[in-house]
Amino acid sequence: MTTPRGPQPFAGQEKRLRLLAFVRQDSIVRVDKRVEDTAMVWPHLLVIEFIASMLWSIGLFVIAAAFNAPLQDHATPDCTPNPSKAPWYLLNLQELLLHMDKGLAGVIVPTVWLTFMAVIPYIDTSREGVGIWFTSANGKRITIFAAVYATVLTFSLILLDAFLKRPEDQGGFGYIEKATRYLPGGKQLFPNYIIPIVLMIGLSVLLVLIVKRLYAANTREWMIAIYTGFVAVYLVLTVVGTSMRGPGMDLFAPWAVPATHQCLEPKA
Amino acid sequence: MLEIPAQIWQKTKTSYIWRSLFRHGYPDSRKNQSLAVFTNVFLHLHPVKVRRHALAIPYTWCMGGLSFFLFLILTLTGTLLMFYYHPSVDGVYNAYGDIKDLETVVVFGQLLRNMHRWAAHGMVITVFLHMIRVFYTGSYKPPREFNWVIGTLLFFFTILLSYTGYLLPWDQLAFWAVTVGYEIARATPVIGDEFAFVAFGGFQLGPNALLRFYVLHVVGLPLLTGFLIAIHFWRIRKDGGITGPL
Ligand code: HEM
Repeated sequence: MTTPRGPQPFAGQEKRLRLLAFVRQDSIVRVDKRVEDTAMVWPHLLVIEFIASMLWSIGLFVIAAAFNAPLQDHATPDCTPNPSKAPWYLLNLQELLLHMDKGLAGVIVPTVWLTFMAVIPYIDTSREGVGIWFTSANGKRITIFAAVYATVLTFSLILLDAFLKRPEDQGGFGYIEKATRYLPGGKQLFPNYIIPIVLMIGLSVLLVLIVKRLYAANTREWMIAIYTGFVAVYLVLTVVGTSMRGPGMDLFAPWAVPATHQCLEPKA
Repeated sequence: MLEIPAQIWQKTKTSYIWRSLFRHGYPDSRKNQSLAVFTNVFLHLHPVKVRRHALAIPYTWCMGGLSFFLFLILTLTGTLLMFYYHPSVDGVYNAYGDIKDLETVVVFGQLLRNMHRWAAHGMVITVFLHMIRVFYTGSYKPPREFNWVIGTLLFFFTILLSYTGYLLPWDQLAFWAVTVGYEIARATPVIGDEFAFVAFGGFQLGPNALLRFYVLHVVGLPLLTGFLIAIHFWRIRKDGGITGPL
């Protein structure tokens, strides 16, 4: 057996490791190597940060001096305001609750969406368009298309749902009664599960297919379409939930929403 | 005339104490500007130099920075509010009474409460806008994939922080808004009841829910969020600063 050259480890310490290599910078810090066009942080960035924080402090101060945070009566568990609404940033979920099963709207859809959002970078792995707003002119067109598509569809579906669910004797379609009578699974299976799930998945897939067809979208571009669609749906749901839902969570025009009934006396 | 202050300044700057505090001269040269940034624990979050476009407001909208700014403001005003708040639903010292006292008795109490409230709403908005800017500028792409994942968590925790805070005044608005969330939690498939029981401390919104939300709101979630922000910022540096056109 030949002994390796160089200094030998002491007996019993053969496994000791030594770091004797240069490591390429990229393997520790992944930097895009580009034209050096840099500015000193002190003063250039710090000045911006300082001014921004001053302006925002003043702004917040002014807003806080001008508008008081709401405070209503002491909480009373047997005195339900009608409607009871979540804070505005969750009204999108509350709006969704009206159109499908609670667990589906409140838990499954947001979980699936957040998970999908987290894995976006693992689906769209190209480096195309990094640092450029909307990637390209095509990306911009796709953004506009998807925003219009999602806004119009979501809004129409909300209106359609309101019409379909209104009982027949009030001039609606009486969908819930009809479903209970004629559909397998009654008013649960189709209205609360199958139809909403098919719509949500179907319309998203349709959007991707359309942008692929119309705009020859690549992965980054159809991702833009899906994400824009989400943002638009999120905003439409928030706006409808905030400003178009009155007592009983019925749909109203934003300017005609009746005041909240602050307290429903418990039924004796 | 001016020699005296100049001499004092000179003396101070060369004094033992001053030199133990600052290890660089006035930041008017490249060297001292660099030292000013990386010898300062607060500033060393920054690199010494940034690429010029990173300073452009139309590019970042400042939204990440403003989210962090609001987070700091909320920590500060929130800590002050804690001095006046008991997380209990009744008794002599109770949550609702404390909020009333803030509005009527405590000097600048109303202003403090307003600032906390509006900053919280503001942070939800700035974080959302930040996420939008990151998406549309393609800034989640390699090597920044993981920072985007951290960001998604930050978005989720920002909403949770706002939501847990919403219950604390224990007025009708708070109670019924949180009831909506409670109903959703119970509708979780399979583990609905168990989940709602753990999250809200019972099958009704009561003192347990208030205490749980309080602890989460002032300790658990801010710590988690703080940690995530630290990782977020660290990763921005390790990913080579913020993105820009190639
Ligand atoms: C508490 C919330 C958050 C804070 C305080 C925060 C803070 C920041 C700051 C200060 C930057 C530097 C650039 C800039 O200002 O735009 C940044 C960049 C970044 N943020 Fe956030 N952020 C938050 C939430 C999020 C969210 C919700 C996402 C996405 C889901 C996200 C993803 C990213 C990514 C990928 C970058 C790198 C961007 C680039 O390289 O251009 N962050 N963040």
